Amino acid sequence: MTTPDIQEITVPDTVEELLGEDDVRPDVPWVVLVWNDPVNTFAYVIFVFQKVFGYSRAKASKLTNQVHFEGKAVVANGSREKCEADVSRLHAYGLWATMQKDD
Amino acid sequence: MARRMFKRARNGTLVATMYEQEVELLAMTARDMVAIVEEPPDGDVRDRLYPRAYLDPTEEKAQGEYDALVHDDLVQARRTALEVVVAGLEGVEPNRRGMVEISLSAEDEMQWLTAVNDARLVIGTALGVTEEGDTDYEPNDPRFEYGVLYGWLTQVHFELVTLLLDEIGEAGTDDPRLESPGGPTGPGELPGNAPGGAPDDEPGRDDG
Repeated sequence: MTTPDIQEITVPDTVEELLGEDDVRPDVPWVVLVWNDPVNTFAYVIFVFQKVFGYSRAKASKLTNQVHFEGKAVVANGSREKCEADVSRLHAYGLWATMQKDD
Repeated sequence: MARRMFKRARNGTLVATMYEQEVELLAMTARDMVAIVEEPPDGDVRDRLYPRAYLDPTEEKAQGEYDALVHDDLVQARRTALEVVVAGLEGVEPNRRGMVEISLSAEDEMQWLTAVNDARLVIGTALGVTEEGDTDYEPNDPRFEYGVLYGWLTQVHFELVTLLLDEIGEAGTDDPRLESPGGPTGPGELPGNAPGGAPDDEPGRDDG
């Protein structure tokens, strides 16, 4: 007979619950990238980064510049599940987002 | 300066002011887009509307699971946005100045943004627009009419995004002034945030 594992009961249901909605940790293994495309405008991409991630105008603008001038930017990171959720939200906004292991 | 197509009313609704011909053009475009977002032609348009989440070909299983989880909802969200636009334009009448005014709820305005953005994605991708975005084709060019439509959608999109970007403000959760002591910070490889203006709005949330 074993004691019930209390941790099983208190473990959060979602990654967001675990990390807090806006936690972006540098040491987790997946990253979300947004790629440059000729249709989406600067202003729109900045708006989407602010809306989806809650980033400041300054941070959203820097990331958008990076997407435009370098072809892509890492815009978020986290667990596989969190990154899939982020990618799906960016896809719904029409951004060209992908995810990969942070090598 | 030309009229503004979108204005925020005192009661918080967004008022779109359009010519009758623009109403017809937007309704027609939204109706035409329904079939395309549901069953896009294979190729660039499909890849652009529904991109892969994983570029890595060894992640095919994860990609399949992502599609199973996300794709139908994404199609549904796009179709709903187009239907909201079409429904909102039905039976509208011009005022004495010949303009049609359409009041949009907070929910509706995001649906309009989605619908217009998706239409730009589809048409821009099909036309093969470049970074310069020049769609002023010669009148005898088969792309001429869609080029004009794309240019007009870009103007509608610009006006809506300009207003929404102004309203969302400068502040964000990465703003050091909003961080709790010992709270999360941005990852090291991302650019830090530069000192901005003096934001006083709530960051990045629906503010209606």
